[in-house]
Amino acid sequence: MSNEWTNWSGSVRFSPEEIAAPASERGVVELVQQAIAQRKGIRIVGAGHSSVPLVQTNHVLVSQHKLKGAVGHDPASHRVNMLPGTSISEAGEELIKLKLSMHNTGDVDMQYLAGAFGTGTHGSGRTLQNLSSMLVGCKLVDGTGELRSFSLEEHPDIMRAAKVSLGALGFFTELTIQAEPAVLYARKEYCSHIDVSLEHLEELIDSNRMFDMYWYPRSDRTKLRTCNQLGEGMDDIPFAEKAEQSKGWLYEILPQFRDLKYEEMEYIIPLEAGPECFREIRKRIKEKHRQYVGWRVLYRTIAADDVYLSPFYNQESVTIAVLQNNELEYKKYFDDIEPIFRAYGGRPHWGKKHSLAARDFQELYPEWEKFLKIRQQFDPEGIFLNDYLKKIFGL
Amino acid sequence: MKSKTYGKKSWAFAGGCIPVDSTGKEPDYVSQEVLSILNTTPEEALVQLTFFYTDKEPVGGYEIKVAPQRIRMFSINDLIDPQAVPLGVPYGGVLESNVPVVVQLTRQHTGQSALALMGITVYQADGNS
Repeated sequence: MSNEWTNWSGSVRFSPEEIAAPASERGVVELVQQAIAQRKGIRIVGAGHSSVPLVQTNHVLVSQHKLKGAVGHDPASHRVNMLPGTSISEAGEELIKLKLSMHNTGDVDMQYLAGAFGTGTHGSGRTLQNLSSMLVGCKLVDGTGELRSFSLEEHPDIMRAAKVSLGALGFFTELTIQAEPAVLYARKEYCSHIDVSLEHLEELIDSNRMFDMYWYPRSDRTKLRTCNQLGEGMDDIPFAEKAEQSKGWLYEILPQFRDLKYEEMEYIIPLEAGPECFREIRKRIKEKHRQYVGWRVLYRTIAADDVYLSPFYNQESVTIAVLQNNELEYKKYFDDIEPIFRAYGGRPHWGKKHSLAARDFQELYPEWEKFLKIRQQFDPEGIFLNDYLKKIFGL
Repeated sequence: MKSKTYGKKSWAFAGGCIPVDSTGKEPDYVSQEVLSILNTTPEEALVQLTFFYTDKEPVGGYEIKVAPQRIRMFSINDLIDPQAVPLGVPYGGVLESNVPVVVQLTRQHTGQSALALMGITVYQADGNS
């Protein structure tokens, strides 16, 4: 019987020897120990939203889908223990029962927590860090089959490696996340023109907790999206036409359901370089690509952090994403845009299309070697490596 | 008294081709093809679009809603669900609505600075099975 596995967009397909779905921590430990004994590789899969072959394996693919929900809560610190297969959406539902919330979410909320953290998935907000910043503790089964526990306070260096680790340190069995008291948010969408939007871009970014700009390459129109706690942020955008507004808990109103499948390349570049990089990309798309590309380009911001493999490492950042329908040619488009991102010092999103390899990452990540050293300690036999990660890590 | 409604449920056109080049400030002066749909009925119109090409399989599944007794105009350039319609490529289209509607297709070609506009007839299509 074929075990073919396909990612969300359909561009990553492979047939592992076995697809396992442990329902308990004990089950995960046994699975890892069995793989070590049989000298088999293991890759861990979440919701399958990534469009690079991070989870590809010929051996054992382990799904987290039976490891869901909140399993502990410290009311004093607002910390909650979650299982790794809890989706962003489900995490929001669990947290609100405790009158808590995540500080941010992405536009998509189907990803599992472990996968979203592990790939540096981010959302938008000049003062907000990516989702992995919520991770303050964890339990994981490492490449020797040992179940280990870590916390930000006791193991700061390990946590700096673990937060964004591409599933290369081991199998997370529990995640301790730092939540915050839930408050109501207002989400507003406006339509405008790119010239006006760029003229006010800094003000829009600085004045709103969360701000995204979508540029439509076939019309030069923009959609501006703000999301603020009630009573905060820009009350209105006088130079744009309001199209939609909603009020509610963050997890309910921020993500947008999207059934339409696409391929995506996103790069993270220094905040100050954002507008210039965007202008160059816009020019290139209008000159060369909009004959076949109708998808919007997404412009967001995220705060700096100190996580070894975070694309936001030590850098206030802008993220710019280019998208294409998954059934249409995307490679020529992405290949042509990528050098522009690279010229501005861009680091690619770990879960989206890019062409970089180890030598590129070594230059882009100042603490690259520290991460590799910790990876070696956690998984000396490399059971959590696949060909793609070997290429990324230069192993 | 029952009010009169106009149009047909099935429409088709054969001469679509969105110009690639544009001049002038966008979106006003972008080269585009615009479908205008008039719904005179008291019900919301759900219009399904399928596009046909010279050298590839038809692409269907585009859906447009038009409120009761309203018109809706939209640029075919902007459609991306399920796929963006390529510019500079000949295509035809079939529209199937759940209620009678009237359909018009307009092409705006701004490839040269002297703007030209051209309307294209869309035909009522009864369809044969």
